[in-house]
This record gives sequence, C-alpha cells and structure tokens, in this order.
Amino acid sequence: MRGWWARSRLRTKIFLVFSGLILAVLLLTLGATQLVVSRQTQATLRHELWTTGQVFQGLVQERTSRLLTNSTLLAGDFALKRVLATYDATTLMSAALSYQQRIGVDLLWITDEHGAVLADARGHQRPGASLAQVSPIKEALTLGDAASVIAEVEAGLFQLVAVPVHGPDVIGFLILGQAIDDVFAEQLEHDTGSHVAFLTATRVFASSFSGAERAKFVALEQTASALLAEHALQEPFLFRLGDERFLSLVSVIEAHLSSPLYVVLLGSYDEAFAPFYMLRRRILLIGAGGLVMALLVGVGLAGGITAPVQTLVAGMREVLKGNLGYRSGIDRDDEIGFLANAFNEMVGGLEEREKIRDLMNKVVSPEIAHEMLQHGVTLGGEVREVTVLFADIRGFTSFSEGMPPQDLLRLLNAYLGRMSRIIERENGVIDKYIGDEVMAVFGTPLAQPDHAVRAVAAAVEMLRELAGFNAEQQAVSPLVPRLRIGIGIATGPVVAGNVGSPERLNYTVLGDTVNLASRLQSLTKDYGTALLMSGLTYEQVAQRFPCRFLGQVVVRGRQEETALYTVQRDDVGGTE
Amino acid sequence: MVGRFLFFFLQCLALCVALPSFAGEITGQVLRKDGAGIAQAVVFVQALPVGVAAPTGPWKAEMDQMQREFTPSVLPIAVGTEVRFPNRDQIHHHVYSFSRTKSFELPLYKDEEAAPVLFDKSGIVKIGCNIHDWMTATIFVVPTPYFVLSDEAGRFHLKDLPAGNYPLAVWHESSLAKPEDTVQTVQVGTQTSEVSFALETAPPRPRPGSRKGGGY
Repeated sequence: MRGWWARSRLRTKIFLVFSGLILAVLLLTLGATQLVVSRQTQATLRHELWTTGQVFQGLVQERTSRLLTNSTLLAGDFALKRVLATYDATTLMSAALSYQQRIGVDLLWITDEHGAVLADARGHQRPGASLAQVSPIKEALTLGDAASVIAEVEAGLFQLVAVPVHGPDVIGFLILGQAIDDVFAEQLEHDTGSHVAFLTATRVFASSFSGAERAKFVALEQTASALLAEHALQEPFLFRLGDERFLSLVSVIEAHLSSPLYVVLLGSYDEAFAPFYMLRRRILLIGAGGLVMALLVGVGLAGGITAPVQTLVAGMREVLKGNLGYRSGIDRDDEIGFLANAFNEMVGGLEEREKIRDLMNKVVSPEIAHEMLQHGVTLGGEVREVTVLFADIRGFTSFSEGMPPQDLLRLLNAYLGRMSRIIERENGVIDKYIGDEVMAVFGTPLAQPDHAVRAVAAAVEMLRELAGFNAEQQAVSPLVPRLRIGIGIATGPVVAGNVGSPERLNYTVLGDTVNLASRLQSLTKDYGTALLMSGLTYEQVAQRFPCRFLGQVVVRGRQEETALYTVQRDDVGGTE
Repeated sequence: MVGRFLFFFLQCLALCVALPSFAGEITGQVLRKDGAGIAQAVVFVQALPVGVAAPTGPWKAEMDQMQREFTPSVLPIAVGTEVRFPNRDQIHHHVYSFSRTKSFELPLYKDEEAAPVLFDKSGIVKIGCNIHDWMTATIFVVPTPYFVLSDEAGRFHLKDLPAGNYPLAVWHESSLAKPEDTVQTVQVGTQTSEVSFALETAPPRPRPGSRKGGGY
C-alpha cells in the first residue's frame, strides 16, 4: 500500500512543500524574534525597576534631608525662639500656621522642651498633651538632636522630623511632617515612571494608582499579606492587577508602625511589552500577507508547472485507451514544450506503426505480422513441426460457370470469411488463398504444442459451419448451389520463413508435409469423406477425436505408404 | 543728718549680729565616679542656716565676649546680681537667653555698652549669641552668695562662712544628677570642713551650632 504522499498529485506536493517552507520560515522568524525581544525587554524592565528602586530611595532620602534642613533652619530662626519663649498657646498656634504655609509642609507641631504640645498648625493636637513618647520627639528628646521617622499620624502616613529649638538651651521642639499620600505616590510615579504603593500587611496607605485601578489595588488589602509573604524582598515578580501585569519589587521601609511598612514598585509589564506586541502583530500581519501571496504564487507556479504535465498525462491516458489521434496542444519553448513535442511525435509514430500493423494484418495473418514486427523481416527460415490444412470447394469450376461473376465473388468471399474466422479462432494462420482453396498452418510462427488438435478441431468446425452457411444461402435464394468441401490435414516438419526477394518477401511454409496435406485434400473425393488426415496427425488427435482408419495409400510423389484417417462424425463421414 | 547717722548705726548693728565672731571654711573636691577631678563645677550653699543672715548685694559680674566666645563659659552668681556683657570683639554680638530662669535679649551691639542684666531668680540660664550659634555659656544663679567654682583638679575652697549647718550642693554642666539631689549638709565651725562630691557625668556631646571655626 503506497502512502498518501506518493499518491498525491504533483501540484499538491509542490503547493504543500512551498507553503510548508514559508510557514516554517515565518514561525521560525516569529519564534526567534519573540525569544530575543522578550528576553531583552524583561532584562530592561528589571534593570529599570532596579533603577527606579534606587531613584526612589534617593527621592525619599532627599525629602527627608530637605525636611531636616527646613526644620533646622526654622528652628534657628530667632523670631521662632522668641515666640516659643512666650509659651503663649494662641500666639504659637497662629505662628505655626504661618510657618507651615511658609515652608509648605503638611504637618507642623511645636512642643515645649519636655515634648508637651504648644501648637499644631492643623489644630488636631490638644495643647498641653505630652508627645514625649511619640516618635520622633522621643528620639529627639533622648538625643537632644534632630530625629526623623516615618510614622502613622491620625490615620495617615507621615515622614516626620523633630528638631530641638535652642534658646540656647533646648526650649522646645519643632516637628515637621510631609504626608506619604497618594499625591506623593503620584509624584514618585511621575518622576520614576513606575507605580508606587506604600502598604503594610493590613493596609494600603498610599498608591499612585487612580480611578478604577486604585479601587482594584485597594481591594487587594486582604491579599496584601499573602502577596508580601509570597515574594522575597528585592526579588522582582510578576503581579497581576485586573488585566494588567506589573513587574514588581517589594522592599521594606523603616517606620514606626505596629507592622512593617513596605514599598512596592510596579513597572507595567504590558506597557513595556507594548512595542513588542505591536512588532509581533506586524510580523504576523506581514507574515500572513506573505503567506497568502506565497500561496497564490505557489498555486500559480505549481499550476504552471503541472498544468502541461496534466495535459500530457491526460493525453497519455487517451493513447492508452487507444486514441492514437490525440495531440497535445502545448506550445512552449522550455523542457515542457520539448516533452510535449516528443510526446506528439511519439504518438504520431505509434499511430503510423499501428496503421502499418493494421494493413499488414489484412495482407498477412496477425501472427505473421506480429512475428515480422517482432523479429524483423529477413530471408531464411527454420524447420518446425506443424500441421497443414487444405480446404477446397468441390466442383467449384462447374457451378461457377452458371453464376454471374459478382455473385460468385460475393459467395466466395462470404465462404472464405467464415472459414478464415474459424481457422483464426483456433490460432491457425491463413497461409494463402488459391482461388477457392484455403491453405492454413497451425504451429507457426507461434509454436503451439497442440497444433494437430487445433487443426482437426478447426476442420470439424468448418464442416459444421458450412452446413449452417449452406442453409443460410438456401434461405436467401434456393437457386444458390450447396457448397461441398474437402479438407486434408497433415502433420510433419516444414521449413517456415520468408521466401522471395529482399524487396518483396512472403512468410510461408514449404516441404513434404504441405504437399501431403494438399494430396489428402484431393483424395477426399475418392474416399467419399469430407476430411482426411495423415497418420502423424492421427497419432496426435486420437485421444481427442473418434477417428476411423480408411486405409494405406502411397501418395503421389512419396515412397512409403501413408495411413489415412477421418473423424468419425455424421457431418464428416458423409460422401456428398 | 541725724537720720543718716541713725541708718549707718543700724547697719553696723546688723552687721555685728549677722557676722559671728569667727568665720569657717569648707574645702573639698568634686570627682567623677572614676576618681578624676571635675573642673568648672559650681559648689554652692543651697540655703542659709537659720539665724545666718546673708550679705546683701548689689553684686555685679561680667561675662565678656572675646574671640567670638563667652568668657567665662560658666559663671556662677548670686541671686540679684547684675551681669554686664561687654563686647570686646570688633564685630556685633546679639546676646540672648530664652531660659525659663531668665529671658533677655541684648540686640546687636558692638562698641556701645549694653545695659546690665539683673538675674533675680535662681537657676540655670543658658546664654547664646543669636548670630553665632556656637557661642554658648551658662550663668548659674545661686540662691545664696556662697558659691565657688572647682579648679582643674576639681578642688574647691569656700571661705568666710558663719558657723552653722550648710546644705551644700554641686552643679556641673554634664552632671546627670540634679543639684538638689547632691545636697550634703556640712557643719561649719572653727575648723575647716572637708567634703567631697562624686558625680556621674554624661559624656560630652556635640551640639548643633557648636561647630566653631567656620568663621563669619
């Protein structure tokens, strides 16, 4: 069983190979691009995130130091010292408000040298309340120097700085705070290009997300602890927020809170990959376009190559069917054109040869024609054992005189045609017609071991056919005479070959056996039988036909006696 | 005229009552726990014994500004002392204090004499210069006129004390103990009394603005 591929048409194969190649190249290109770009983008994103982390640290430190500078400068302001030394709550309150506006901080407290509140610019802290245990005042009290801390104040996250006010001994503390809120996160996002979020395991204090994203992120509060626990600090991981993915980095920020404060930096993965996605879409689009074009070209090319081949194949089928008149109409100058011309010439040659063969079959028997075509026509021959049959119409001359020549010829042709067909059916070869006489040979040019049997069978059949023939003729015209024939059959060696001149040859058999068969035919009248066969023939057919011995006779031109036999049948045995 | 005489007489009488016939002395040393002497410690009588009348003022003292420093850096005075702050530099100074004991301000001055400042309440007064943060000094206002500064070895010598039992205390800038917690009662008689103080001191720490040398 041959595979599907072997059975596929040439056009399909070319097309499949073509498109498969293009598809492979396209996929390979896409795959390689994806691999390289993806790796590159990831590395870039990681590096960017790392840089953002550094920038972020710098920004936070810078803010702290600016806060520290501002508060130190303000604490050194003599007017502040002077107003602080009044310890007058109302005055200090208004002054605090003024200072807050001047520096632009979110929170400004003034305490006395023991940490008791003197003023809060926002008016939240009750005057007199002790902040001695509150960071960073606690640290500043202990150190007698500036201290800074990130702490939760009234549910908000603040970067706080406490500096002592020297008058010149410590006469109080100035506490400045900057809120770590969404505004700050958004500013960081603006500066670094990455989203920023400040959160503990239980709460999101601030994030640079806005709108729907913010809602989504804040809704993550419950999972925040899981999120934080899942990923090692300072190790980038992929974080999904809604439909968007972020490469994220978690770090701890030192703060005075009940649980650790984390800052999460989120670089948009999808945003970073957007150019790559666009590139991929374009490659796909170009690839698809290329594929379609290539397929069209492939179809055209495959068609161009295979169409003439298909035509030739169709032509070949026609020729196989026997239509030798077929000619391909391909007119090209390339190899296909050459092939088509060769095909046409070849079929032309075949047709001519077939014509010759046909003609030959009419002149010589098909077997001889075949033998001649097969082995060429040369003078000379070979000795073969054959059976020769002669059949002759009795009294032909007498009844031919009373008939118009046309009718006679028609009758003769009808008779010879019927007889010839029987002989040929038994693979006998009509050697020649001699007037009304037929000479046939069995066993040459094609060797047939049962040539004698075939000859006798043909003879018996000829006699039966003749009865039918006569009945038909009588039915047409009762005036037509009944034909009677005599058949002589002899078996023996003959010389078979071409006889004549090199220009004109005749395939025939010669020898004593031929003469014997002719004589036997002549003798049928004397023995009152339609069929006579020689002893040699009898020996070969005795098993197949019931024969009768008619006697020994010395045939004219022969030395020894020949045994005569006939087939014992009603239609044979009659002496008509 | 008669009134003047009478006043003088009464003064003399009071002096005779106040001053006993002889005066006692207290000597001693202020030491750190490790035995090293503490200089610049103020040893003072916290309160006068019953029956001892203190000499009254007016007392005067000075704290100079020289080479952009206060001199001396520690100045013990009795309550009621007027302190002058002469500026001996060629630049302006702005002496001030917002200490609870005494809040005052001598706005920028150079050549002219600033008005003396009366310290009428005992306690510690830190003195600073508004335009030179490193310039600081301490005026320790003692409730009695009996006080002395320890020398380099931490030794002190209080003289001319009338007999009696004196609560003696010590103050030092870096002492961790409050002066009232260092009180030792010392009996002053004909002989010199010996007493020593052991103080726990904090290591000196730099203060913002103490970075001298930046110039001006």
